[in-house]
Amino acid sequence: MLNIFKRLWQVNWAEQWQYRANLIMYLLYWLVSPIIYLAVWTSIANSKGSVNGFTAGDFVNYYLVLLVADQLTSNIVIHNFAYKIQDGALSSELIRPIHPMLTNTLVNNLAFKALILIGFTPVWLILTLIFKPDFSGVTWQGVLLAIPAMLLGFIVGFLLSAAITSVAFWTTRVYSIHEFYYALILLFSGQFVPLTLMPKLVQDIAQFLPFQLFMYYPVQLILGKLTTPQIIQGFVVGFVWLGLSILFFNFVWSRGVKKYSAVGA
Amino acid sequence: MSPDTILVDQLSKTYQVPEREGGFGAAVRSFFKRKYKDVKAVERVSFRIEPGEVVGFLGPNGAGKTTTLKMLSGLLHPTGGRASVLGFTPWERKPEYLRAMTLVMGQRNRLSWDIPAADSFLLNQAIYRIPDDEYKKTYKELNELLELEPLMKKPVRNLSLGERMKCEIAAGLLHRPKVLFLDEPTIGLDITGQARIREFLREYNRLTGATILLTSHYMADVTALCERVIIIDHGQLKYDGGLTDLSRKIAPFKLIGVMLADAATHDLSRYGTEVQNEEDTGKRYIQVRAEDVTRATSEMLSTLPIHDITIADPSIESVIEQAFNQ
Repeated sequence: MLNIFKRLWQVNWAEQWQYRANLIMYLLYWLVSPIIYLAVWTSIANSKGSVNGFTAGDFVNYYLVLLVADQLTSNIVIHNFAYKIQDGALSSELIRPIHPMLTNTLVNNLAFKALILIGFTPVWLILTLIFKPDFSGVTWQGVLLAIPAMLLGFIVGFLLSAAITSVAFWTTRVYSIHEFYYALILLFSGQFVPLTLMPKLVQDIAQFLPFQLFMYYPVQLILGKLTTPQIIQGFVVGFVWLGLSILFFNFVWSRGVKKYSAVGA
Repeated sequence: MSPDTILVDQLSKTYQVPEREGGFGAAVRSFFKRKYKDVKAVERVSFRIEPGEVVGFLGPNGAGKTTTLKMLSGLLHPTGGRASVLGFTPWERKPEYLRAMTLVMGQRNRLSWDIPAADSFLLNQAIYRIPDDEYKKTYKELNELLELEPLMKKPVRNLSLGERMKCEIAAGLLHRPKVLFLDEPTIGLDITGQARIREFLREYNRLTGATILLTSHYMADVTALCERVIIIDHGQLKYDGGLTDLSRKIAPFKLIGVMLADAATHDLSRYGTEVQNEEDTGKRYIQVRAEDVTRATSEMLSTLPIHDITIADPSIESVIEQAFNQ
């Protein structure tokens, strides 16, 4: 199995490398919205002194760490898989004795991530020079806890995206469903606004949803903003969602693949 | 366990196709209430194929050939009937089954376009768990038959169609499958390219004893490779038997072609059924039953102003076309 992943990595890395110009576009797309939120919130905080206790400096710290968490936990399953169902390209992967989603697509996402980080790192360093964040609150413990948290966030996010992408077995309009899912992420992950600034009700709901694992939770871990009970609760919620997303993905995939019509030749 | 490699029993596949009339009103209505039409792609098809057989699977476009191959290779779930290949139910897609068969589709690529075929071959070696020495041996054999070596280092997108097809077929055979499903393996190739692939498939079958079920629109593929053909049309089995028996059973006719001094004026219908021959418009052709050939020709020679006369078997294409139309 290890050998399979090694070869898949070589093939997918070489493939992604062919499309490095495309990757720059992805990177820009990815950076634009967090940077806009950062700009908007810091200017509001500057004019009012603070927003519910969040100063402009707090927003800078929050969003610069969020950019990293977003890079590490996000995936592009919808973009590199849904079309294969729709145009029948999945056929050649389905006849291989390995799971198309959990091997090839997973590795493809990782190769994409590795390559995009090469472009992301210098951009992020330049952003820190411009915005001058204050990372004095960051602790080693926080970073060490954030690593498994982001891994958990990536896996849960990958499985949820994989399940939603598999809806393409039924409908060609899967992209609009994914857009809705993306709106949920925007709202409940803490990307649009740090969750602590949300109305109480939204916060109460968000802490039991999987989306905070993608950004808010690891960011707050790194910045050392969470209490021990909050840290424990975050991991418990994360593992529950890991189980749920495995079940959800299996449920959709196993039914969807029976609907596969292998269109085209 | 049955001795058959492939056993297909009452296999059926019905697609539900959304149906909609043109126009805005219909579009709005279909948003709320979708109408579906059942399209029977394959209807109660049954056949058996023994180990080592090479069988041609024929039918016009849309007959259900590819759908059947997709079910047998596990891509599609049938809506009725059952099938067993090497003792496996294909659509359960057990890894042991997928490692024992291959599906090569002439119009689909398995190889990644962006990287050299050599890299995709190594990936297949890993996926199919082929030990190094076995891989080297198989590759050497494939290379001898298909001359792959000069193609391996170039990105697949830079190969010609024929070169790519050779690599596709080789990639599909690295794991030495016992059953081969080939859907139009020679499509788009020139005559020599087709002959090459054919020669290779015959050799592969002889060396490994693999069972092959192939579809093709080139009758030369079928006549060169298959002793047996299965014909389906509109999803239903029309014929299953020897290729030589086919013309005897379906079309026990001969074609008599004559070149006449004043072509248009003579009525040929009293000798046999006049038919069109698009390849040779200089002559007029009649179709007569095999046992009537002698009588018809002698009558024609004695009564008509004939410059030239030929007697031939109908082409396998026209025989199969007749089989489709029955």
